[in-house]
Amino acid sequence: MTLLSWKRAALESVPQTSVFEELALPFLPALYNVAFWLSRNPVDAEDLVQETILKALRGFSSFEPGSNFKAWIFRILRNTYLTSRTGLAAKRTVALEDELGDQDEAGAAVYPEAAIERETPEMNLIRLSDRAALQSAMEALPAPLLEVILLCDVEEMKYREISAVLEIPIGTVMSRIARARATLRQALLSNATPIREFRA
Amino acid sequence: MTDHLSPSVLDALADGELSGQQHAEANEHLSRCSACTGNALQLSLLKSATAKAGRRYAPPPHLQERLMRLAAEERVRPEPPHSAAKSAPSGGFSGWFGMLGWAAAAVLLLAFAATTFVQRNGRRTDIASAQNAALVNEVFDQHVATLAANLPPQVLSTDRHTVKPWFQGKIPFSFNLPENLPKDTMLEGANLTYLNDRPVAQLLYNIGRHRVSVFVRQKPSAPAAEFQAGHAGFHVMVFSTDDLEMAAVSDVDPARLAELINLIRRAQT
Repeated sequence: MTLLSWKRAALESVPQTSVFEELALPFLPALYNVAFWLSRNPVDAEDLVQETILKALRGFSSFEPGSNFKAWIFRILRNTYLTSRTGLAAKRTVALEDELGDQDEAGAAVYPEAAIERETPEMNLIRLSDRAALQSAMEALPAPLLEVILLCDVEEMKYREISAVLEIPIGTVMSRIARARATLRQALLSNATPIREFRA
Repeated sequence: MTDHLSPSVLDALADGELSGQQHAEANEHLSRCSACTGNALQLSLLKSATAKAGRRYAPPPHLQERLMRLAAEERVRPEPPHSAAKSAPSGGFSGWFGMLGWAAAAVLLLAFAATTFVQRNGRRTDIASAQNAALVNEVFDQHVATLAANLPPQVLSTDRHTVKPWFQGKIPFSFNLPENLPKDTMLEGANLTYLNDRPVAQLLYNIGRHRVSVFVRQKPSAPAAEFQAGHAGFHVMVFSTDDLEMAAVSDVDPARLAELINLIRRAQT
């Protein structure tokens, strides 16, 4: 009896699941979803998520307990994406702010007036309910706009978290969110692909 | 607030990013401006529609299983034996029971030590293979991206005396290039690129019609052991010299790739 309880105590001291697993696995669906959106195919998405998890495992000792794990692991995902084939192609796109030339020095957003309409056509609301149209519009977004809208609207991250994940100033986060929404709205309005290609 | 709400305020309102004061001011404006109220409503609807449309892809079950297996292999080690001993009852029994308890503790300690030794070795192997896999992926991606870009190298050369000096001041190390190459092997040029955020020389060779990338970097503190791997029809060979670590990738015959590697290796001595 004594021996059994001793053994039981020893066994109980062994963690049955790691802290890493407990933190990381709940984010697997979100990581895969974002990875698929960015890489645009299931095989690359799986590779991207697996590599992210491996990198996170190896670097877990550098993660500060109590800090934002979600932002930390999404940052690894994003950096892994940037060194992937699809990410390298996206890297070669012209810097968005340079291309549009509509951001001031302080990083504050200067929004195109077309981003906001002063009327609310009923048709817009109807088109918003068309999930397929919205998904097509999202697919046509350039990677820098797509990733910011995924983190903001789908992952419900705060601007400062997005800023940490993407390693860009908050002003740029706001500017990109505004551009992404303006592009989506225009695409839904015209029922066509977004207006501009940013590829070099 | 007499003007309409700015687009940035409307976005921040939809995203819940306004401070208390800003939120109160925005609400006060919305209460008397139907245009801004309509815009705020539209942004809010767009946000929620995007959230729904964006949740589109679910991971396949086998991915979760595979990742759980990988994570399990990396699972945190058991508590060290001294803390386990602390949890043992400290009194209330003596004689044979006491001796049996200590004997059991000794057996458990030995078992624990043996398990830890085996697991640590296994873990080291797993980490090494994961690092190797990551390195293979990175050099493969860079090589494929180079092929896909179809751009001339940053430094063009048919002569090793052009390529090597071009890297002066660009990378924190130097390397030698072999003087005599096999008949159908040619140094096309080189690129400055990055692996794991560190500057790397990407040497671009042609062996016949096959293109070869040789990535040269400063030897890291924990260099990878030399190894070869196949990846999507390409061969990746990782090798090192006293100061440098190199990774060659190509779809050429592995024997021809090894021949080039040996020449590069010998040039460093």
